[in-house]
Amino acid sequence: MIQVQSSRRMKIKMNIVLALLVLVGFGVLIGRLYQLQLVDGEMYQAKALKQQLRPTAISAQRGAIYDRNMKTLAASATVWTVTLSPAELKDADQLSKIADFLAPLLGVEREKIIERGQKTASYYEIIKQKVDDTTADAILRFCDENKINCVNLVEDSRRYYPYGSLASTVLGFTTSENKGAYGIESNYEKVLAGIPGMVVSAKNAKSGNMPYSYDREYEPVDGNSIVLTIDEVIQHSLERHLETAVIEHNVNNRAVGIAMDVNTGAILGMATKPDFDPNEPNILCDPKALAEIAVFDEQIAAASGEEAERLKSERLDALGKAQFAQWRNKAISDPYEPGSVFKIITASMALDTEVCRPTGEYYTCPGFHIVAGRRKACWKAAGHGTIDFTQAVKFSCNPAFMMIGAKVGPRNFYDYFERFGLKEPTRIDLPGEADGIFYDYDTLAKETGEELASSSFGQTFKVTPIQICTAVAAAVNGGRLMQPYVVSQVLDPEGNIVSTTEPVVKRQVISEQTSETMRGILEKVVGDPDGSGKNAYVPGYRVGGKTGTSEKLDAKEGGEVTRRIASFMGIAPSNDPQVLVLVILDEPQMQNIYGSVIAAPVVGAIMSDILPYLKVEPQYTEAELSDIEVKVPYVTGGVVHDALSALTARGLSYKLVGDGVNVTGQIPSSGTECPKGTRVILYTDGTQPADPAEVPDVLGLSAQQANRTILNAGFNIRLVGADIEGKGVMAVLQDPLPGTAAQEGTIVTVTFADASDAFTAEETYEAMQESSSEPPPGAASPAGG
Amino acid sequence: MASQRPAKHPPRTVNGPMDATFLVIVLVLVSFGLIMMFSASYANAFYLKGNSLFYISRQLPAAAFGIFVMLVASRVDYRIFKPLAFPLYLLSLALLVIVLFMKPLNHARRWIFIGPINFQPSEIAKFAVVIFFAALICKNYQKMATFQYGIGVFLLALAPIVLLMIKEPHLSGTVLILSLGAVMMFIGGTDVRWFIAGGIVAVAGIAAVIIEPDLLTALAHYAGERIEIWLDPFSDPIDAGFQTVQSLYAIGSGGLMGAGIGASRQKYLYLPEPYNDFIFAIVCEELGFVGAVVIIGIFVLLIWRGFVIATRCPDRFGSLVAAGLTAQVGLQTLLNIAVVTNTLPNTGISLPFFSYGGTSLVMLLGEMGVILSISRKTPIEKE
Repeated sequence: MIQVQSSRRMKIKMNIVLALLVLVGFGVLIGRLYQLQLVDGEMYQAKALKQQLRPTAISAQRGAIYDRNMKTLAASATVWTVTLSPAELKDADQLSKIADFLAPLLGVEREKIIERGQKTASYYEIIKQKVDDTTADAILRFCDENKINCVNLVEDSRRYYPYGSLASTVLGFTTSENKGAYGIESNYEKVLAGIPGMVVSAKNAKSGNMPYSYDREYEPVDGNSIVLTIDEVIQHSLERHLETAVIEHNVNNRAVGIAMDVNTGAILGMATKPDFDPNEPNILCDPKALAEIAVFDEQIAAASGEEAERLKSERLDALGKAQFAQWRNKAISDPYEPGSVFKIITASMALDTEVCRPTGEYYTCPGFHIVAGRRKACWKAAGHGTIDFTQAVKFSCNPAFMMIGAKVGPRNFYDYFERFGLKEPTRIDLPGEADGIFYDYDTLAKETGEELASSSFGQTFKVTPIQICTAVAAAVNGGRLMQPYVVSQVLDPEGNIVSTTEPVVKRQVISEQTSETMRGILEKVVGDPDGSGKNAYVPGYRVGGKTGTSEKLDAKEGGEVTRRIASFMGIAPSNDPQVLVLVILDEPQMQNIYGSVIAAPVVGAIMSDILPYLKVEPQYTEAELSDIEVKVPYVTGGVVHDALSALTARGLSYKLVGDGVNVTGQIPSSGTECPKGTRVILYTDGTQPADPAEVPDVLGLSAQQANRTILNAGFNIRLVGADIEGKGVMAVLQDPLPGTAAQEGTIVTVTFADASDAFTAEETYEAMQESSSEPPPGAASPAGG
Repeated sequence: MASQRPAKHPPRTVNGPMDATFLVIVLVLVSFGLIMMFSASYANAFYLKGNSLFYISRQLPAAAFGIFVMLVASRVDYRIFKPLAFPLYLLSLALLVIVLFMKPLNHARRWIFIGPINFQPSEIAKFAVVIFFAALICKNYQKMATFQYGIGVFLLALAPIVLLMIKEPHLSGTVLILSLGAVMMFIGGTDVRWFIAGGIVAVAGIAAVIIEPDLLTALAHYAGERIEIWLDPFSDPIDAGFQTVQSLYAIGSGGLMGAGIGASRQKYLYLPEPYNDFIFAIVCEELGFVGAVVIIGIFVLLIWRGFVIATRCPDRFGSLVAAGLTAQVGLQTLLNIAVVTNTLPNTGISLPFFSYGGTSLVMLLGEMGVILSISRKTPIEKE
């Protein structure tokens, strides 16, 4: 009974203990678990995942950049980043084994690998970037064989520019992180880059691979590709001639070239020379900049201590500046004084406001014009005398244009200036576009008229090359101000079209009638023998244009203008403009600084490359078609553009071999009589005449067939005979004979006659025998150097 | 008072069948414990021992042997422990002295190594305290209300054990033994007012330590830091707070339903020794809140059943031993989960049936066998 009582008391106490343990003890713990797992669970889980999961980025394939014919200008290839995860290293021996293997393979210093490997808290130490597939495979094999799991390969991509420096200032380049820098690469970064993917894998705290690892891969989305309006052939021609011009005229401040479709605003070519190779954007390409750095190197070698340190930092600054300079797309980023090229715009204003007529009104140029009591000189000191409007443009007469500008008046001048898009950036789809600098209306309208006068011939204000191209395109294309653009299409990774750029007409600036008149006037500038732009003449094509020589007024030295800009704006064909080419040579160093002399031939050379390429039908003038024979001039030894001017001035065509600046050989040789239009082969530095080729057999062919056959074989043809286009007329004689070996460019004289007429087969044969017995008068011999 | 008369004739008892419910609960816990121990240990075993089965292959035979020991113990009359109580107490004191000469592990001397067997004398001491206190209470049952027999004797008995364990140092073991002693005394009949007074002192002490951890540092040099880490484990997440932080990550990652059995990520070398004291964190990560509550529920069932056995036992000694051993498992589970969830400062205390350790599992199952043996003693007349 007592036992039972005492047991009861104990039982009660046991139940109290049980209740305390369960209700208080475990109750609190369950509450705590509720807090940890359900209330704060996500917070702890997020922190846990951060340490458990290692996301590895997979770079998305960057989209390609194509020219308008789908030639690849920029593309990406897979490369690998080799990384070391020191936290997962087994021991020092393993590290040294890895270092021994990787150092020679990757060309990385062994000590550096060891140093990185000692950061044992780290999982990600980059050993080398941009490693190719073969090397990556070797590393994989090594790791596999040696059971190493702390060396990782991360997929990456590398940018390749197959054409090297071609269009580099337009394309831009990518950084080592595959981010676009400059140009299209930068402006279309979002389009090209794509979305990087990621592999999220669970790893344990110490070793790499887990047998029950958690892996999730998020596929990267590859970038879209871009098709440019740039045409590789046109771009190449532009760059080839700009490069040559820079050397010919020792151009100090880079040269700019733009080729534009005047009807759409599409940029066919855009170049700045010297530029850079986007494959190696940091390497300086400008010889002048290289020389400057070389001077620093010499000084640093000679100096010591603080002096050397100072020089080193100066060298670094200079290098940085030179790099930025070579990356700069001068065509859109550098406003300049357009000079006389701007007269196209002034003339358009004058015609459109009907204050001037192309002919019948006269201006007198005594060699100067007095504005606000100041004497403003014409470029021709003797003056142009009394000339009409068209002649004022043709001769680029400043006094006449000051008068024309005054007639237009400040209000119209200012408004048209704005309407031509010169007061705002064009918003071309390239980064870093600058705006021009122009007077405000009140300054332009000052009573003295000085600002208006100088503006009339393109001085004392600045516009960018792309602005002037857009404005001139409007002046000649029927008056439509187009939106310039370089991207024509965006393609998805499968090649489907995502978007296409349609040409945008910003506004009608001048009337169609005014534009037509302007086209006629501009053709005279180039086409007339006394036109200021005659050096841009291209036989067989109607080229219009305007010269420009501007003084850099903001770079006066001692009150003297010492630096100039020579430029030329060419438009072709002038009766139905399709393309314009602007060439600007910034600070050429030569005696004759006029644009008409040095920039026009460059445009002419570019036009004669691209007009046939663009399949513009040749339109020979009567004079060109006259069968007068001309003598080939002696151009060997001169620079390319002088040679081209000399040839075109005589109505001769040409073919340039090589990219050199100097002409080292020519076929036919100087003094050879040949028909107009004959193509003279010019060999430039380092090129040799090709091996002689066989002259094709054209006997029995019509004139048209014979012409095509001979030209296609690389020879020139002289057509002899009356009524050669007549019915039944065929080639009856040819010299040199079919099968003869002859140099490219050799003139083949083909005689035509009505086959049904006098000649019989035997006679033909006899005639041939006869003619081959003595050296033919037109046969050329290869010219010496 | 009737209770002052000693019981001359204990109620007659017969040996009945053992308590099947308790046995089932124990077996469920052992099985569950083995599965979770394997899950928690294989990653460490693979990476650090080179064999995923390293831990489970040692724990499994221990569990089998432990169950054998339990079944044997359930057949042995627990009353043989009554005369052995004092010798057992002396033995545990001796072992607690010997352990101080062992090589330290993690800056503490808690383990005795004899060949393949290694054990903590504190485990023996817990058992000894339960047996010794039960015997003392039986002997002095009528005088429990007095200070001398209700408090004095027990404090005297606990003092050397506590001092020796602090010397190891083994704070959690000390806390556990003190709590266990208090539970025994409370059940045994020590005046409740002493517990109220002791409770007030304990609360004041804990408050003082929380407010000024340096006080505790003066007592045991590592304890102060433990308190600081307990209050804010993220203050030193990579060193002193590492284990606690990793444990919280694991528990938090579990959420409601858990990652699924085997799917813990924290066991991959993040949480140190996940198969040991912190195994419950992995349980929480893999089985979630629901799984954790279910396991706590099974422990609660065990404790409930243990106390049912204690209350049903007609023999005071048996009743006290059953209650003591059950309380021991309950308190240890409570303290372990409290530590794992950072409800209490981090001290080395294992989770019964789950944590790795063959010797302690065998001993635990042996103790369960004693409870089963007690469960077989039933009075002739049903109450």
